[in-house]
Amino acid sequence: MGRGWNQLLSWIYTRVPALSRRYAAGLDAVAGAVPWTPARVPLEHATVALVTLAGVHLRGQPAFDMQNANGDASFRVIPRTVSPADLAITHDYYDHAAADRDVNVVFPLERLRELAAAGRIGRVAPRHVGAMGHILDREERRLVAESAPAIARLLKEDGVDYVVLSPG
Amino acid sequence: MATVLIGVVREMLQKAPAPRNVFVPFRLGQIFGEPGADVQQRAVLMDALTAFAHPSAPGAIVDLPYRWKRSVYRDPLGQT
Repeated sequence: MGRGWNQLLSWIYTRVPALSRRYAAGLDAVAGAVPWTPARVPLEHATVALVTLAGVHLRGQPAFDMQNANGDASFRVIPRTVSPADLAITHDYYDHAAADRDVNVVFPLERLRELAAAGRIGRVAPRHVGAMGHILDREERRLVAESAPAIARLLKEDGVDYVVLSPG
Repeated sequence: MATVLIGVVREMLQKAPAPRNVFVPFRLGQIFGEPGADVQQRAVLMDALTAFAHPSAPGAIVDLPYRWKRSVYRDPLGQT
């Protein structure tokens, strides 16, 4: 099926939440214990990063690959100081019309900067991450083996305490 | 480095939980709220961050009580 079909399905799924619930109910649960890291740093001293799976990237960066039916497990680094006007969204598997008008509805970097300026968090991490959901089969293996560890490494290098992860 | 996952499909959070999880009953593609609704977006983001400030257990889900436009959102910038 082509991109138009995927975009139509996304439009329908956005408007009929029961479809997403039914889809999720049919998935196998992730096996194994849920990992845990204690939260030791008070929020007002913490460095916070955003990781979005909503297909957000800089306009100058390569778009995510929408031709691969298994998705695209690569990721894009987004700097702390970016202007929303310099961001784009490439993702056919959810309806991002609202996010195209205001990217903060899926990637609230401006809101995070405001919380930092007000002292509610310690600081905004220098680097944030845009990736995409809908990752299957071979791309899922690439995500687990390569992209996710690379994302964790770069956030750790930046001294990030807390990560807010969100889908599209 | 600790992680919180915020999502709009509760069943998905149950099937593939992050260490900390926050469910908000919004639409796909509008996890943090409506375009231009800065207070709403700030409130939801702050609620997600607050998961780091409360005791929790691996995979637990916090349900946010919001009802889209029908809820009153307290601006975290207005609180001390």
